[in-house]
Amino acid sequence: MNPVRKTVVFSLYGTSLDRSLQTDGKPDPERWSRWRPTLSLCQQADFVPDRLEVITQSKFRQQCDALLEDVASASPETHTRRHLVPMRDPWDFSDVYAALRDFAEAYPFDEDEEDYYVHITTGTHVAQICLFLLAETRHLPARLIQTSPPRARRRDPSQPGTIAIIDLDLSRYDQLAARFQERRRTGTSFLKEGIETRSPAYNALIERIEQVATASAAPILLTGATGVGKTRLARRIYELKKQQAASSSTLGSFIEVNCATLRGDGAMSALFGHEKGAFTGAAERRAGLLSAADQGVLFLDEIGELGMDEQAMLLRAIEDGVFLPMGSDRPQHSRFQLIAGSNRDLHAAVAAGRFREDLLARIDLWSFELPSLKDRIEDLEPNLEYELARHTKSAGRKVSFNREARQRFLEFAAAPSSTWNANFRDFASAVTRMATLAASDRIHLELVEEEIGRLRQAWDRVPQAGSSRPDPLIPDLLSKLDHDLDHFDLVQLAEVLRICSGSASMSAAGRALFAVSRQRKTSRNDSDRLKKYLARFGLDWAAVHS
Amino acid sequence: MQADSMKSGQASAPVELDGRMGEGGGQVLRSALTLSLCSGRPVQIQHIRAGRRRPGLMRQHLACVRAALAVSGGGAQGAELGSSELLFQPGPVRCGDYRFEVGSAGSAALVLQTVLLPLLLAEEASQVRVVGGTHNAWAPPYEFLQHSFLPQLARMGAAVELVLERIGFYPAGGGILCAKIPALQSAESTTQPLQLLDRGAALDSQALIQGAHLPARVYDREWEAMSRILGWEESQRCDQAHKNSLGPGNCIHAILRFAEVTEVVTSFGARNRSSNQVGADVAHQAQQFLQSKAAVGRRLADQLLLPMALLQGGEFHTTQPSQHTLTNAEVIHAFHPGLVQMLEVETDLWKISVQPSRTTILK
Repeated sequence: MNPVRKTVVFSLYGTSLDRSLQTDGKPDPERWSRWRPTLSLCQQADFVPDRLEVITQSKFRQQCDALLEDVASASPETHTRRHLVPMRDPWDFSDVYAALRDFAEAYPFDEDEEDYYVHITTGTHVAQICLFLLAETRHLPARLIQTSPPRARRRDPSQPGTIAIIDLDLSRYDQLAARFQERRRTGTSFLKEGIETRSPAYNALIERIEQVATASAAPILLTGATGVGKTRLARRIYELKKQQAASSSTLGSFIEVNCATLRGDGAMSALFGHEKGAFTGAAERRAGLLSAADQGVLFLDEIGELGMDEQAMLLRAIEDGVFLPMGSDRPQHSRFQLIAGSNRDLHAAVAAGRFREDLLARIDLWSFELPSLKDRIEDLEPNLEYELARHTKSAGRKVSFNREARQRFLEFAAAPSSTWNANFRDFASAVTRMATLAASDRIHLELVEEEIGRLRQAWDRVPQAGSSRPDPLIPDLLSKLDHDLDHFDLVQLAEVLRICSGSASMSAAGRALFAVSRQRKTSRNDSDRLKKYLARFGLDWAAVHS
Repeated sequence: MQADSMKSGQASAPVELDGRMGEGGGQVLRSALTLSLCSGRPVQIQHIRAGRRRPGLMRQHLACVRAALAVSGGGAQGAELGSSELLFQPGPVRCGDYRFEVGSAGSAALVLQTVLLPLLLAEEASQVRVVGGTHNAWAPPYEFLQHSFLPQLARMGAAVELVLERIGFYPAGGGILCAKIPALQSAESTTQPLQLLDRGAALDSQALIQGAHLPARVYDREWEAMSRILGWEESQRCDQAHKNSLGPGNCIHAILRFAEVTEVVTSFGARNRSSNQVGADVAHQAQQFLQSKAAVGRRLADQLLLPMALLQGGEFHTTQPSQHTLTNAEVIHAFHPGLVQMLEVETDLWKISVQPSRTTILK
């Protein structure tokens, strides 16, 4: 018999509806004549929970156990468990939400083996909304299940009534999801800002940066590929400092500039300012960015692009807090924390004579390399949530994925063939585009496929460093091969596939690949030879040529 | 012998059944599982409970499939809630000490019924304990099995001992039936055909009123309503209050004893039925049997077909065959064509003859 998935139901113990009648401290047999929602979940002919996880508070422990005993007799197939989850005030939104979310986070979900349902008939109104939110955000990866009492009054009230399963991820519940949008907005207000990242390495890195940022005013160097989030992190560091400053007035401003945009005289002037008449066109005195950052944070992105003169002046400004504006001999004072960003290897730039070694030594004290998106696959999902929330904030409407669409996008995002050339910047843009185009605030599969096409095209256009124009199909194909290949074979196969994908027909590919043998007439049938080669890897023409 | 028939069983194509036949409910499934286990032939059922409000396999049916798998180590496809199609491949039936559980909506008796005959054909004696509902309106209650069905099975040569360890009313359930099932080593020497054309002389009849967590007046009212119609004496009344029952519940049986057969008819108390109605209902059922000439009542008739077909056959007189009886005959014919014959001998008196199947594991 094929292994059957287990049905697991979460239910809050309903202190009034689920309550067992008592007489003289003993459960009253009459309780069986009352409809009890959590019990009724286990009395259905066409729905049998293999496990029932009942959530209650310690003061209701005994009542809850009485219910579970009744479940055990009415539904011997169901294994029951009681969870004590403290909630100070079951009508307080943040209390209930936090408690249920902690519970959900600690719960060992096994979605490969088990189907989860969350019962929303019991508990306070507030608890029901929280369960809805947790299910919708997939903190509780469960479908909603509702129970209703037996309908007709003439019927036996000891009958279990009916159940209804609501799957929020299915497109047909879009309307329902939309209706909850309003409530959700109040719900998100207390949700933690920022991204719930899961990558342990990244979380450790951020923790360390926070430590450094709060304890020290020394320069910080953030390195990493384009789009990994250096600017966002620099701003976050500033906000953290601002939170921790005794009062917000003691911390200056956050000034950010991309050094690649500073060229020639303009660079000096923009950073350090100038005196009136310092150069042609300098009609007014200008204070410069360093002055503006006084007592605050200066973020210089792509610091490797800074000219040698600017580097020298910057070094002095960091070390002594003084610098000379252009055309001035009066030193200016500014105390700021420098955060430098770079996607280049500054040590190589030093070796090439394009970057000052002493400046690097100064800013390299706290150097953090931010991992690229492909090294943080586990953070794709939280980032997706974050980007959707951000879109909600800026657009004023909540957009969400339906299940198939979400799964497809996350699978695509994590696929080895998805290069994410601009890392999280690409990712954020993709989500923004889909969210903007989503009709009725729901992102469907077609929209995701369209975006995937757009991304592939974009990555295809931009040549990646160190490789000739890659065909996105090839890494995809290689990753799908059944067996591991020696590098020796891999290189050959990749090149064969490249030729194939660029050829109009199998014989054209064969001609290109076996041109020499062909001239020597040692090979008669190029196509056949190619076909056999591909077959060795379980591939055929249709697979490699799309 | 056993190994041979199993081999041929596995090689054979599945017996195909349409779940819409006859009564159209769980009966087709249960009888098919029983016959499949006994013959070693796989069975494929389509359109399971197709006409019902909630079609397909429900939990009580699934409990029967699980029991059938447990006693034979076979395999099944489509053994899921709501499934409208089941392919069951039996393995060799193994004796043992089994425990099955079924939610209160299902009946312990029906699970037991599915595996009872196959286990008779196993090599050694077995014990089966089923936890669930023992007394609900949709299945034979313990008293029917104990006083009506099992004595006839014993006459055919299979003495099954059945104990009600705890009563289990709907909806609380929690009842326990325990059956000790002997192994019939050789059909020839120990079993015989069933001859039940006459019920024989009337012996004492009894009213059994069972209840749990109920006020005494319920017993009195039901008895009054019943005895008024049947004209029974107080000495025929027996009350059973089941204090160990997990939930409340009530039913009243009329146990009608004759020299050759005992008939048990039952009516169940419910929230929306008055005690008078319950008592009157059981009395009317009893009258129906008492007024007929048939040796075998409607319910017993459908229960007898399978054991007769699997053991030594036989014949009996009964009233107009019920849908359940017709369904069982049809399922038997899918496995063994032509075994069951039904003949109306006079108005509302039918003679049902069953030829023994020569293809069971036992043969």
